[in-house]
Formats: sequence, structure tokens, C-alpha cells
Amino acid sequence: MISLLNSMPLYLICGAIILFVAIVCVIFMIRAYRAGIKLGMDKAKLKRTLTSSVTFSVLPSVGILLGVIALSGSLGTPWPWLRLSVIGALHYETQVAQAAAEQVGLKSLSASEMTPVAFSTIALLMSICIMWGMILSFFFNKAYINKLSGKGKKAEADREAGEKAGGETKKAGFGDSAMVAMFIGLVSAYIGSYIGGFVSGEGLFTFKGDLTPIIVAVVSALVMAVFVYFSEKKHLVWLESFSIAGSMLVGMLVAIFV
Amino acid sequence: MNGSYYEKYSRTTHLIGRTVSAVALILLVGAPFLIGSILGALPDLGAVAKGFLSVGLIWTISSVVEFLVYTPMLGSGGGYLAFITGNLINMKIPCAMNAREIAGTSSGTPENEIISTLSIAASSLTTITILAIGVILLVPLQPILQSETLQPAFANVVPALFGAMAYQYFRKSIKLACVPLVIMTVLFIFVPSLISQTSIMIIPSGALTIGLAYLMFKKKGSIS
Repeated sequence: MISLLNSMPLYLICGAIILFVAIVCVIFMIRAYRAGIKLGMDKAKLKRTLTSSVTFSVLPSVGILLGVIALSGSLGTPWPWLRLSVIGALHYETQVAQAAAEQVGLKSLSASEMTPVAFSTIALLMSICIMWGMILSFFFNKAYINKLSGKGKKAEADREAGEKAGGETKKAGFGDSAMVAMFIGLVSAYIGSYIGGFVSGEGLFTFKGDLTPIIVAVVSALVMAVFVYFSEKKHLVWLESFSIAGSMLVGMLVAIFV
Repeated sequence: MNGSYYEKYSRTTHLIGRTVSAVALILLVGAPFLIGSILGALPDLGAVAKGFLSVGLIWTISSVVEFLVYTPMLGSGGGYLAFITGNLINMKIPCAMNAREIAGTSSGTPENEIISTLSIAASSLTTITILAIGVILLVPLQPILQSETLQPAFANVVPALFGAMAYQYFRKSIKLACVPLVIMTVLFIFVPSLISQTSIMIIPSGALTIGLAYLMFKKKGSIS
């Protein structure tokens, strides 16, 4: 069965879909780059966006590759490759694949129990459960973005009116602060979950849970502080593109030694 | 003139975005049937329906929330791409926020739209490339990547990412960060079963922080 799941036709089907998505990404990238130049944006800034995004994505991508390897044992290589290259998310795929395996009557997600029906059913369920983001984008992205930018324009008009009247200008720009706040909330939830996991993960207040994520996060934050110091105080601006990736790398290395 | 050029660019972005979203959807849902016909067994639709009711509903709700929360961060081009290519919370969102940070653009502007799109596209292509190389080299790479020694490193990609991001964002407003950090920590300590639901718990945490930020902003005119 596993050799069937690793056969050439499956590689071709999955590879073709991934190629399609890669081409879409290239089209969006070229269009955005050209539009940026037309709008008078600095070429160097656009290039730095590309460099920083690539370096940023390398390590998480290797993590995702591990997800492919983990799932390839039971589902073959091509299907997890497709799932995790396109639309999938690391935490999602494994969970849904497991649940789907239970629904088709497998005891667990394993190659020895896999049948053709089980495989195509699991594959379909993995596709269906996560398709909503695309559907919502298809129907509502335009209206939603237009609504948001309508608000933005109104805020801008308000600000201009305020400036003309020489009055308060501080209401403008809460959008940016809201993004920062959202992110602070998001990061807080994750950091809180690591601390909670250590303190109560193995029973309330037993302090026997995994300490590694906390150490990794702290080390990574400290390294980030060093990067920020050098890029801001010593004006090594180029460092910014590598700061997150560099901090993550050191944090992950520390995990090996604790 | 720039305004009308950008409007035209936006219209085309939505047109392309919608088309490729629809095509990608058809390909992804169609693939299991195509593969099934090669294997000689089509999917068991009854089991799919049952499975969907048991796990799919949660993901449907979280997809709606993701769409509402992330679309403003990503803009239109970045939004379409990110929802096709996935891995939002562990990669795309932080990646786009980081790019914005470096470029210094503010939300809702054309510059921001361009930077987000470039960032998501570059990030997606990086993942696609690394996975393709990984799959080609799977046989020699597998023992290295799965070696006992390296396991802890890869198990901690997400804490490493959020540690670095924490420094970057908490320093913008330490006062603001204290509240959600303390509340979420206490919550997770007393209700450890919520830890497996962290991806959903970011919603109340984010909402709370935005609320507090708004109060600070109204009072002081900034959150720093």
C-alpha cells in the first residue's frame, strides 16, 4: 500500500498542484514589485522585504518539512508534501489525519492498516476541513478590504480636517496600534501557555511540565535584544533582515543542550 | 494619477485572487477523487461527512475567525495568497508583520499592501522550495532531521519564533503587554487543559489587548 502511495502518478498530481501555486506566488510577487516601483517606493526597501521574508521563513519551513516526514510514514510522501506546501498548517494536518483515520475505522494512522478507501477518504477530509479560508477570501476579501480602507479614508479625512482646525490629531493611526496590540495579545497567549504547561502541565502546581519552551523563548528574546541593539544603536540596518531567523536559530540550538 | 493606478492594481488583484482561490479549491478537493480513482477506491463520503461533523466544525469556526482577524493584517493580495498557502500563525503572519516593521509602513496604505504581498509571496515560495528540496533529498535527509539530537530543536521552532517576536513587540509597550501576559499565564496555570487550545485562546487575548490599547490610546494618544 505505501508503495502505491509513493508512486509516480501521485507525485505528478501533487507536484502539478504545487507548481500551480508556486506560479501564482511568482505572479503576485512580480505584480506587487512593479506596482511598488510605480508608486514611487524605494527599490532597496522592496528588496529588503524579499530578503527578510525569505530568511524569516527558512527555519519554520524546515519545521514544516519535518511534518511532511512525520506524516509520510502512514500517508506516503506526495500527499503530505502537497498538504503542507499548499494551504496546510503543521498543527492542523496531523490532528485531522488522525481524526479522519478513526472515522474510517482505522485504529491509528499507520501504514500497516491503510487501505485505498481509507486513504482517499482521509485525503478528502483533510482538504475539506481547511478550505474555508479560501472560500471566505473568494466571497468576502474584496468587500472586507474595501470596508476597511473606507474606514481608513474616513480617518484620514478626519485627521486632515482636525489638522486644518488645528485641533486634535491623535485619533488618527489607531489601526497601527491595534495591530501591535493584537500581536502582543497573541504572543502573550503563547508565552502564557508555555509557563502554564511547565507549572500545571503534569497536574496543578506540580512544576513538572516541560521547561524547554520557556528557556528557548527567553534565549531567543535575549538574542533578539542583541540584534536590535546592533541594528539600532550601531546602525547596522542590514542585520534587521536576519534578526528573527538568527534569534530562532540560537534558541533552537539551546533546546538541544537543555 | 498614482491613485487611479493603484485602484486598477487593486481591482486586478481581486480578480486574480478570486480566480486562483477558486482554481486551487477545485484542485485540492478534486485531487483525492483523482488519486482515489488511480488507487481504485473513491472516498467514502459517509465517513467524510461524519469526520467533518467531529473535527471539521471546529476548524470551520477557527477559519472564519482567522479570516476576520488576519485579512486586515495581510491586505488583499497577501490575504488571497496566505489563505491558499496556509501556515498562517506559525509563519505567514509573523513574517508579514516583520516585513512591515522593517519597511516601516502603516496599515491600510498602498505601501503596506505591496509589502505584505511581497512578503507572503516570498515566504510561500521559500516553503515550497524547501519542501521540494526536502522531498527530493528525503532519503539522505530523513535520518539527519529525525535524529534524536536534533529533535528538541525542531520541537521548539514555535517558542523560538514567539520569544524573538515577544522582545520585538513587548518593548513597544511594556505596560500594555503585562496585562495579557499575566492573565493568560494565570489562566493556563489554573486551566492547563486550555494549553492544547492555544490557537483559539489567542482570540480573547488579542481582543483584550486591543481593548486596553484603545483605552490607553484615547487617554494618551499613543500606546508606548
